[in-house]
Amino acid sequence: MILRITYYISNTNQSAGGKTKKLHVRIYEYQSGFYKHLSIVHISSVLRMSAQLYKKNDAYSTSSGQLPDKMTIFQECLQQFNLSPVNAKKCRQLLAKLLRLLYHGEKFPSSESTTLFFSISKLFQHKDLSLRQMVYLTIKELSATSQDILMVTSSIMKDIQGGDLIYKPNAIRTLANVLDASTVSASERLFKNCLVDRNPIVSSAALISSYKLLPIAKDVVKRFTNETLETIQSLKQFPSNQFQLHEYYGSATTNLPSTSYMYQYHALGLLYHLRNHDKMALMKLITSLSDGSSLKNSLSIIQLIRYINKILSDDKSLITHLFPILSGFLKHKSDMVEIEACKTLIDLQHLINESDFMNIITTLQKLLSVPRTSTRFAAIRLINKISIKNPEKIIVVNLELESLINDSNRSISTLAITTLLKTMGAGTINDTGGEGVDRLIGKMTSLMDEITEDFKIVIIEAIENLALKFPSKHKRLVSFLTDLLRDEGSLELKSTIVDALFDLIKFLPDEGAKKLILMNLCEFIEDCEFTELSVRILHLLGDEGPNTSNPSYYIRHIYNRLVLENSIIRSSAVIALAKFAIVCGGDVSKNIEVLLNRCLNDVDDEVRDRASVSLNFIHNSRKDLIINEFQYDLGALEGKLTHYLNEAAFDNSFDINEVGVISSEELKSIDYNRKLTKLDSTSFAESSANERDAEDLTTNGKGGDDSNNDVANALLKQQEYAQQLSAIPEFESYGKLSSSSPASYLTEKENEFVVTAVKHFFIESQKLVVQYNITNTLNHLVIQDVSVIAQPDNELYTEDLIISLENLQPEQTGTVYVSFSTPNIDDEELLVAFGNTLSYTNKEIIDEKGNIDETDEGWSEEYQIEDLEVLAGDFVHPLYNSNFTAVYEQLSFEESAVVSLKNTKTLEIGVEKLLKQLNMMPLDGSEYVPSDSTSHTLKLFGKDVWGTKVGALVKLASAGGKVVAKVSVKSENDKVAKLVAESIN
Amino acid sequence: MAPNIGLYTISATLILDNEGERLYAKYYRESESHQYQTLSQQLQFEKNLFSKINKLHQDIILYDNHLITYKQTNDIILITVAPLNENESLVYSLTNNLNEALNILLDSTFDKITVLEKYDLVSLCVDECIDDGIILEIDPAILVSRVTNPPTASNVSNDLNIHIDLSERGLFNALSFASKKLGEKLQQGL
Repeated sequence: MILRITYYISNTNQSAGGKTKKLHVRIYEYQSGFYKHLSIVHISSVLRMSAQLYKKNDAYSTSSGQLPDKMTIFQECLQQFNLSPVNAKKCRQLLAKLLRLLYHGEKFPSSESTTLFFSISKLFQHKDLSLRQMVYLTIKELSATSQDILMVTSSIMKDIQGGDLIYKPNAIRTLANVLDASTVSASERLFKNCLVDRNPIVSSAALISSYKLLPIAKDVVKRFTNETLETIQSLKQFPSNQFQLHEYYGSATTNLPSTSYMYQYHALGLLYHLRNHDKMALMKLITSLSDGSSLKNSLSIIQLIRYINKILSDDKSLITHLFPILSGFLKHKSDMVEIEACKTLIDLQHLINESDFMNIITTLQKLLSVPRTSTRFAAIRLINKISIKNPEKIIVVNLELESLINDSNRSISTLAITTLLKTMGAGTINDTGGEGVDRLIGKMTSLMDEITEDFKIVIIEAIENLALKFPSKHKRLVSFLTDLLRDEGSLELKSTIVDALFDLIKFLPDEGAKKLILMNLCEFIEDCEFTELSVRILHLLGDEGPNTSNPSYYIRHIYNRLVLENSIIRSSAVIALAKFAIVCGGDVSKNIEVLLNRCLNDVDDEVRDRASVSLNFIHNSRKDLIINEFQYDLGALEGKLTHYLNEAAFDNSFDINEVGVISSEELKSIDYNRKLTKLDSTSFAESSANERDAEDLTTNGKGGDDSNNDVANALLKQQEYAQQLSAIPEFESYGKLSSSSPASYLTEKENEFVVTAVKHFFIESQKLVVQYNITNTLNHLVIQDVSVIAQPDNELYTEDLIISLENLQPEQTGTVYVSFSTPNIDDEELLVAFGNTLSYTNKEIIDEKGNIDETDEGWSEEYQIEDLEVLAGDFVHPLYNSNFTAVYEQLSFEESAVVSLKNTKTLEIGVEKLLKQLNMMPLDGSEYVPSDSTSHTLKLFGKDVWGTKVGALVKLASAGGKVVAKVSVKSENDKVAKLVAESIN
Repeated sequence: MAPNIGLYTISATLILDNEGERLYAKYYRESESHQYQTLSQQLQFEKNLFSKINKLHQDIILYDNHLITYKQTNDIILITVAPLNENESLVYSLTNNLNEALNILLDSTFDKITVLEKYDLVSLCVDECIDDGIILEIDPAILVSRVTNPPTASNVSNDLNIHIDLSERGLFNALSFASKKLGEKLQQGL
């Protein structure tokens, strides 16, 4: 605005005197029409003038799409609405312009908005229906920014009582925006009458107005319950003149709907909030509405399905009553109802048996081939969701999925591909799966030319995922990736491919695959335009190349880089060569020395420096300085350094030995886990990368993914625990913390007191500290002298001390530590179970500040909580190894056992349970159980806290609802093998 | 994610022109939404979204943690934004039906200039369809029947009760009336 003023002034300075005069006359005219509440008359008049000028210059401003001037509209509104008689047509146009400003995002300051609001309210006196409808809409939009809006309440209420049917619904809906908590009750009678009105539109308007009033006046709206119920059941029809406003429908009233039943939807939506505390009433409502034809409107049926979903998520036992209703909606004339039913049933799939589940798939299958894009999209989204956990269940729709790969909607084709890759994965275990993968890859190769890059990236990630999960298929997949690498592409695309290949090298067990990929990468850097990628590949060649059968092949390729490339690539090639020299030794080393000597004459400083440093290391055989055998735990390092800086005790030097070291093997385990989790989530995050959905899907799963994340973060967590424990003087002498278990619940999560336990082992000093985290969920009680009595069933465990909790306020969490001396690995029995009892003194809170009566002695109570077991898993860390069979063979001591797993009905559950109990890493993709099979082999690997390796080969067989496991455990220590074998149950 | 049990279904309704400029933009319950509270956030969202969907007739995509359905006709796009877990078919039907209703109201010329000229019809129609994020009506015929036409002429001519319709349709009506009368006369003459 200010800008425009200056523009005006300069304009008048330049313009001829006559024109300026003319403008002055205009001011006078308008000033006589002004109102006193415009505090800055003078500035407004200047603005007015500038706007006038502005408008003159651009006569077609509004129709050519330019926004009308805010000030002009404001002034014009004030003027027009106060005329007598009011020009209805002009006013409606003005209101439209005003709305256009509002819907464009312009905001009027509160005082101006209020002025407008009241000048518009003058139009209530005009009889024109179309103007009145517009007035209500404008008032509704302005009500948020205006003050004293309650003033119009009585005018609106008058209209609702006696106004024309055309604007009556608008009036009702506007009323909800104008009312505040204190005035709602005055309009109660009015709302009730409208709720039961015969006209569906009036009824709907009253329903949603009540709904909008819920947050400010719940008690008043609650009194509408009966009227709302009545509305659902009743039949309301339009009056005969409903369609007479527009010539478009002319006299053809026969095909027009006589009612839309939308009021049923609105009534149901409102009713949930009035009844949600009363489960029985909701159940009754659902059963009465679900039979046949009481609900006519698709939206209201969707609402009903959501009710059912809500009820079932609170009380699963009702599924037997409610399932028939839901499955009835799987066949409905409206596809939105079918989709909603499928959605809900998939959410509840753990409650549904196999054959019922197939009904859902059949419905989805049908929906996949409808012409409407949105329906196909919804269906494939759901199928993709199923495929994450149960790919085998959707193999039947593979044909439909394949035809969707070329769908015009890109999201659909992306989802089709990622889903197919998953089902193919499940299929490879069967004999027919191989063909499927080949056919799919063939299809995608042809597709690759037509699609955009970010879509290609999605596919590459999916392929990598497949290769990781099903190593036997790697050849075809690797060649697909390397072909793609040779094609034209941006850095981002190529990086993705190289990343994928790197991961495959790291994690594929097959030596042949490694060689194949390395050779392809060598070829790639011969003609690579991206320095960044060349450097990364050279680094990888240096790490992996020396351990292959023919290192000289790679040396040749690396040397070519030294001759042909820029200095950055040359310097990394130098380091890569040095690695070959130090690992291979012998002739190779001598030859490389010759090559490196030549580099001493390189034009670039960095290359010369690196060459001479490398030569020096090679001469002195300082292998440790060239090759990284281990890495510091970076999270822990950061923590320690921050701690060191905060303490500011710089007299003592920082001790790097305190930081945990991760061997390259352990690092691989963490990477592997992270990779699998990430791939799982990205492949269903869809091309638009909606991470929230992905998260949502993972948490919807069985929690298997959570444990993966736990492993990745375990080191960080343990670091935290170590810090907490070392802060407690009693535990100072215990030394280094060896392992901490994840927290396990010893109570139900809804109990008065929620207790979780974490086991901390100090192997060197033979101590176990159990950390009990106790949450007091009672809001009227303070508990004092809280401790846990833990009874070990193994005599070798003796209790040392308890650190109890003095006081636990409501809604707070406190910690009790119990410390034990433990037996060693060489002792008889290492496993133990603790019987736990919580003991405390109750004191009631007497005032609002949470104080307790000092004289009250309270009463002491004991509270039985669940047992805590120490399992083999507490002594083992998962460890990754790419060649399980070879490592397993090398382990010397073997122990075997045959166990029937308790409470285990399927192989899947068995595998999950074993992973939890043993805390070992599943290898070669053996954690995925193929569908329909009755036996499965699980390969597990880990490292115990005493530093020896443990491998376990578990053969599982299921028969008649029971799962039997034949366990062979091999270890470098016979006691450990025995321990692991024994702890399976 | 639990499905939305309330009636608040739609996050925003937008009409953009062929350059991504907003003609109509209504974000429902702005203060409750986490992402699009300020005008600049909204404009940024519209700009990015427009580049994603312009001239690609895909009807439905997921974008920025929202479910987006849209219809592009002539030089404008009608967009409905809903939460991610909303029923796709429902939201698309809404967009489609609203599009149809606007088409009828604007005499099948659903383009930028007409939208701006008859902005009163457009804003009333959207308001009759979605109020504050609640779906009020979904049937296009009923939507149309709820929107009032602007007052036909200014007060003055109404008062004098002289009403000569000079539009195309008016002339057409006059012509057909004349031919009918002529036919009758001729028949009588025969």
